[in-house]
Amino acid sequence: MTGGHPDLSVDLGRGLVLPNPVGLASGTAGYGFELRRLIDIDRLGALFTKGTTLRPRPGNPPPRVAEVRGGMLNSIGLHNPGVEHVAAVYAPEFARWSVPVVVNVAGGSVDDYLLCLRRLEDAPGIAGYELNISCPNIEGGMDYGQDAAAAARLVAAARALTSRHLMVKLSPNVTDIAEVARAVAGAGADSVSAVNTFVGMKVHRGIRAPVLPGRGTGGLSGPAIKPLGLAAVARVRAAVRIPVIGVGGIMDAGDAVEYMIAGADAVQVGTATFVDPGAALAVLDGLRDAAPGLRARPAAALRGGTVPPAGVEPASTG
Amino acid sequence: MTGPPGTELLSDLGRARDEVGEVLEVQLLGGGLVEITARLPHLAATARPGEFAQLRAWQGVEPLLRRPFSVAWTEGDRCAFVLEAVGSGTRMLVALRPGDALRSLGPLGNGFGFDPCPARALVVSGGLGCAPFPLLVRALRRAGCPDVTVLSGAATGARLYPAERFRRGDGGVAVLEATDDGSRGHRGRVTDLVASRCDAATIVYACGPNVMLAALASTLAGLAGPPRRAEVSLEAPMGCGFGTCLGCALPVVAGGGPDAPREHGTAWALCCRSGPVMEVSRVAWPELLALPPAHVA
Repeated sequence: MTGGHPDLSVDLGRGLVLPNPVGLASGTAGYGFELRRLIDIDRLGALFTKGTTLRPRPGNPPPRVAEVRGGMLNSIGLHNPGVEHVAAVYAPEFARWSVPVVVNVAGGSVDDYLLCLRRLEDAPGIAGYELNISCPNIEGGMDYGQDAAAAARLVAAARALTSRHLMVKLSPNVTDIAEVARAVAGAGADSVSAVNTFVGMKVHRGIRAPVLPGRGTGGLSGPAIKPLGLAAVARVRAAVRIPVIGVGGIMDAGDAVEYMIAGADAVQVGTATFVDPGAALAVLDGLRDAAPGLRARPAAALRGGTVPPAGVEPASTG
Repeated sequence: MTGPPGTELLSDLGRARDEVGEVLEVQLLGGGLVEITARLPHLAATARPGEFAQLRAWQGVEPLLRRPFSVAWTEGDRCAFVLEAVGSGTRMLVALRPGDALRSLGPLGNGFGFDPCPARALVVSGGLGCAPFPLLVRALRRAGCPDVTVLSGAATGARLYPAERFRRGDGGVAVLEATDDGSRGHRGRVTDLVASRCDAATIVYACGPNVMLAALASTLAGLAGPPRRAEVSLEAPMGCGFGTCLGCALPVVAGGGPDAPREHGTAWALCCRSGPVMEVSRVAWPELLALPPAHVA
């Protein structure tokens, strides 16, 4: 129920209808249990879970986060409880929530992804999947995101396995993000989210070394990456007809509007949640206020209707 | 601890609330220590000893993240925090003036345990590690602990948190001081004072630099009669403070079942969710000491 508010729902296709275009980005909201204690996440458009892998992963050694000007670096290393725990313990809880829960799935091999998805297929409460082909912090985690053909093979295999909505989260750490977007769309992705974090480094002069351990790099997020994210979304929007979910440095409703103008059908709020757990709700409330004249499809209306409405193109089965 | 990573017991986030308060006083204590008092009614009413709040006192995105601070003491609708300017966020906090707005998300984390109340409490503070202890000392006394001794250490006398601020008017609280340079109290490490004051009825509560806490752990491990329990308050570079960024990992002894995943021979626990207060036996001390100082990040 939207109770007198304009209908801001977004149909992303294949059964995934977001009640509104504002979601919580993967890796910034866990599996929702903590934020549920702090905010009313059932008002949001979607919850994109922490990247989930076949086996539990303890994550990377600390320090895992480092603040930089206008953003932060993270190298969490896909710290997660593994798909069995998510499917058996968390998913039944998701089924009780009204916010759609999209499980972000990560892996090191096609088999990893497929076994993970297969386990989730039996689980309730899952509105769709976001294939994480772009985690910069694990060995091999970005191979699929940087290789359009490999990404297409992965998506095609996943497509054959599930009838649930299949979103692919794109890596910005590529020469041509549009090429990867086209490849995954052609292979049967229902939507794409753009973008994941940018590889970055913070160097500490005192210790004469990078702050983050290992390779010294992490994923850059926060307001510093918004212009980069906007450019990526515009590139992807021009390349594919499937819905695009914009993510990267959204701190307020104005940022979300900019992403929609650039071509996003919906958005994810990420790092802003760390600063203010209610940031995504504030973005949503701001969008409602900013869009009183809009009926459905605020994104298309913001773009002046020049972009085809989302979800009209039947996904290829690759 | 036996579940997969990320499934540790949650701290009681149900009490956490984001509130905007007002700075009442900013006191320079000497040696760089600063005590900020603010009107934060929710935090004052709900914070337990050892819990922390994520503070922000600026608009915009520079710096981006909030900064975590132990609640030093509460009185009515007022709370205090003890800090030092070491980076961009803390510099802005110590520059606050009465009347400025201060935003607090809290209380967060798991605090000190004092139920059942110990017959003897030994509070070991090193430098800025004084931060959570005025609130703990008061709580211990109100819970009926007859013997509360604060062992307060710092590099120099100027950097000692004032003894009367640990006591907050309670003459029954003993404060013994130690300084590295001998300018006040015992010359040497504060942990030197622990062994002779510790018995099976004692609970030890400690907060300070990692090297001090590791020395304490080593001292306690060598005692013929170990204390009833020992708890330490730790810190880590922190993103959110409420368990979703998974950034504030600390090395802990891999104590899970046979399937508990681990890497590098160590398991990780989140400072904000499993801590900041942990049992001394849970911490993987060699691994903790191998980490760069928290403020580097």
